[in-house]
Amino acid sequence: MNTPKRGLSRRELLIRSGVVGAAGLSLPAILAACGGDDGGNGGGVGDLLIENWPEYIDLTEDDVPGTIDRFIAASGVKTTYSEAYNDNLEYFAKIQPLLGTGKTIEPDIIMPTQWMAGRLRKLGWLEKLPTDKVPNAKNLEDAFKNPPSDPTGEYSLPWQSGIAGIAYNIDATGRELKSIADLFDPAFKGKIGMLTEMRDTVGLLLLGLGINPSNITSFDEAAGAFEQLEKAKSNGQIRAFTGNDYIDDLGLGNFAACIGWSGDVLQLGTDNPSVRFVVPEEGATLWWDTMVVPKGAKNVEAAAKFMDFVFDPVQAAQITAYVQYISPVKGVREEVAKIDAALADNPLLFPDDETKKRFFPFADLSDEVEAQFEEAFSGVIGA
Amino acid sequence: MSVTTKRGRVGRIALNVFAGFGFIYLFLPIAFIVAFSFNQPKGKFNIVWQRFTLENWTDPFSDTALTDAFVTSLKIAAVSTLIATFLGSMIAIALSRYRFRGSAAYNFLLVLPLTTPEIVLGSSLATLFLGQSMVDFGFGTIVIAHAMFQVSFVALTVRARIRGFDWTLEQAAQDLGASPVRTFWKVTFPLILPGISAASLLAFALSLDDFIITFFNAGSTLTFPLRIFGASRVELPPQINVLASVILVVTVSIMAVGSLLGQRRRRRLGQTA
Amino acid sequence: MTAPVVSRVGSLTRVSSERAGLLSLVLVGVALLSVGARWVSGTIAVLILVLAALVVVGWITLAVLGSPETKRALAPYGLLKPGSMWLAMFYLAPLWTLLTSSLSAKKTRFDVFPTFSWEFSNYGKAFSDFGPQFGRAFLYAGIATFITILIGYPIAYVIAFRCGKYRNILLGLVVIPFFTSYLIRTIAWTSILADSGPVVNILNSLSLTGVLESLNIMDNGKLINTPAAVIGGLTYNFLPFMILPIYVSLEKIDVRLVDAAQDLYSSAARAFRKIVVPLSVPGVFAGTLLTFIPAAGDFVNAQFLGNPNTTMIGNSIQDQFLRQNNYPVASAMSFVLMAIITVLVIVYSRFFGTADLA
Repeated sequence: MNTPKRGLSRRELLIRSGVVGAAGLSLPAILAACGGDDGGNGGGVGDLLIENWPEYIDLTEDDVPGTIDRFIAASGVKTTYSEAYNDNLEYFAKIQPLLGTGKTIEPDIIMPTQWMAGRLRKLGWLEKLPTDKVPNAKNLEDAFKNPPSDPTGEYSLPWQSGIAGIAYNIDATGRELKSIADLFDPAFKGKIGMLTEMRDTVGLLLLGLGINPSNITSFDEAAGAFEQLEKAKSNGQIRAFTGNDYIDDLGLGNFAACIGWSGDVLQLGTDNPSVRFVVPEEGATLWWDTMVVPKGAKNVEAAAKFMDFVFDPVQAAQITAYVQYISPVKGVREEVAKIDAALADNPLLFPDDETKKRFFPFADLSDEVEAQFEEAFSGVIGA
Repeated sequence: MSVTTKRGRVGRIALNVFAGFGFIYLFLPIAFIVAFSFNQPKGKFNIVWQRFTLENWTDPFSDTALTDAFVTSLKIAAVSTLIATFLGSMIAIALSRYRFRGSAAYNFLLVLPLTTPEIVLGSSLATLFLGQSMVDFGFGTIVIAHAMFQVSFVALTVRARIRGFDWTLEQAAQDLGASPVRTFWKVTFPLILPGISAASLLAFALSLDDFIITFFNAGSTLTFPLRIFGASRVELPPQINVLASVILVVTVSIMAVGSLLGQRRRRRLGQTA
Repeated sequence: MTAPVVSRVGSLTRVSSERAGLLSLVLVGVALLSVGARWVSGTIAVLILVLAALVVVGWITLAVLGSPETKRALAPYGLLKPGSMWLAMFYLAPLWTLLTSSLSAKKTRFDVFPTFSWEFSNYGKAFSDFGPQFGRAFLYAGIATFITILIGYPIAYVIAFRCGKYRNILLGLVVIPFFTSYLIRTIAWTSILADSGPVVNILNSLSLTGVLESLNIMDNGKLINTPAAVIGGLTYNFLPFMILPIYVSLEKIDVRLVDAAQDLYSSAARAFRKIVVPLSVPGVFAGTLLTFIPAAGDFVNAQFLGNPNTTMIGNSIQDQFLRQNNYPVASAMSFVLMAIITVLVIVYSRFFGTADLA
């Protein structure tokens, strides 16, 4: 759940240099700041290690400083940014032997998806955020305040948000798609992709069956979606369960249609106009990835500084322009509009209230129910 | 060959053609990998040919995460190969130099790790480490995991290479007054060295490329294959192909140089003998 | 404690020093195994390690102070000791912990240390939930092994008998592709076999897709994400492990034997059948093991080249262990996989004589 882009479009370069200019920073200034600050830590704050999903932030490229370098320049915190977060379950399995036995892990900030953040919180594996040191948290969009996964809002702040809807390649489908039912059209047999992220796939199928995934409390309520999924798998309708690599299958036409994430498709759409994304008429699942501090992290204060930095709309606009997901920060739209009006008008980046009503986050499942869901899902995807 | 019938000749040609196709099959993906290192992909996945560029090669280390993982892999391979070469060569010498009780059983033990599926080796080691509260997954556990299967590999390869070694040479040196230590370093070691270096080179390559066993024992340490696996879900930058091609060229050169040296050495020994 | 030992060293006969050597080797091996497998723990474990260290020290003392004959008898055990300790600790002990883990139960959903409790239901679950994956693993690995023999044998034959002084170069060519990363090779096949890729295009222009679909190799116009692609990937990735052992056994055959036979039988095919084939059986045997065993436990090919209906047991073990944190069931599956392979290998050896992999 991340987004990405290899080369930089000219438009983006403009955006990025524009925002950098607005922030009053130039590359030489930043380099000077970094150079003068080699071993030192600004204000006695320790080094910061962030582990995020791959290509989920604007990194310095072609002399345009990325968010991390701008943060280093502004705060003086020596920051290491790693893209070691590939998969919620895999990452969890890696940290479990450590956090589960009272040891600590290296990173100070990790970016689990909201439901995983909830699991970590319930297990007591997270530090409380020093909210007083994140004044910009006031810019948090209301929709993300006190979610079921973090009812008091003390443990997590959203990083980016997005929706899972239907992505398709019109050259392969030959028609516009509107409904979740289109994924089960026999004409697309063997050309349909679904996500390995259980909540996005099952959530969307639930919506297709007219069930609101936000209100699920037991496995039985979702059994219909699992049956549908199992059938589509067995009869060969589904070609593969994927992570972000569906983008590639979609571009190649290996997939006619698949469940996909909004930001990815926005990215590919600019290169390949045949690839489109639609919020199905039945609705789409809403997800967000969060910034959390693992228990026992050494540099909670530096982590707070970083969170504060990216909750500044000027900086957040920079990230949004690059990753093209929905920002959880108020005021980003105005900042993006200053540079590129077209981007600020994109309904997938800045959905109107009417559309937002069709976005449904997946319910916060109880431990026992979640286990049932995961077992059933892993059974279906055939692993 | 004696009488070659027409049918025989046709069969011969057919067989050679078949083998030729076999080699094309073996090299098809390699050709793709090398060719795509010169590709300028549109988007994140370097799997559709767009257009030729030298850009990836001018900056092979531009993907820092990939480069870091590659360096980690080199370090792990170096340490584990050192351990495995040391332990494995000693086993090989013991097995080929001496006749002793229990050597048959020992041979069997040695072959076992190579006939155990990698996934069993990987998961079983992980259960060992999981139970030891003072061990954390990471660099050290990967080194152990690699050296574990490399030991058998080195031992069997070295043993095969020194099977024909004439151990009476040692006796002769000692009869002439050389101490056992001196005998080893001056006589035995130089003669078995080619076998050991060939085995350790292959062991190094095995470590560098190991994915399955590493996957179970890596914790959050990323090796080159692990990074490729993780990244393959979001991107496949052409630098992967560049680094893969570099590894290919380097190993082929080492192999070529090694076999040339070996030939010269054999010729020289052949002349003096 | 060394003083009395030293005084007796001179009197040690060859047989008794051999016994001492073997005994000490077994002792240190068992000591490390017991610690690694957690038969013992805490202070006892430390004591055992200290004892093992003392045995090693004792052995060194014997070897240094002993008569040349004693030294000679002890040497192999000494050389084997470090390697044996290593294998005991990191090969044998893990198999034991795998077994205990497969009979353990998790107290809570995210339990890091499942408790040993004779939990045989893990094995029940391994079979009932993952039967198809076991089946596919052995089916695909079996077919792939068979195809590697079909492709690999002629290649090995041509290299061994038709290439004269170019033999070594061609052998090198067989090995070279395998110095690029396993994962990258497999990923390369995804571009080669893609729906709009070169192979499908060629097949389309030759109008062969219909034929291949009726043979179940292609499915709905696609080559990739099919069982055939998975088997093809396995075949490709393990082909050298078939070619090399066959080559080694063919190389040993005296060509004059074949020539003589052809003179006598005057049929190349018959000479091949009567002489070459029987003499190359050990190579095929070794190649089969080296191909089938890793192929049966593989999950990379199924992951990149397969679809949700082609997953193999390796995918399940990986998923249960590294994503679902279900160590007990994953261990049970690993253990069953190993057990089945061991049985198959034993049965197979009965038919083809003894294994000589080395």
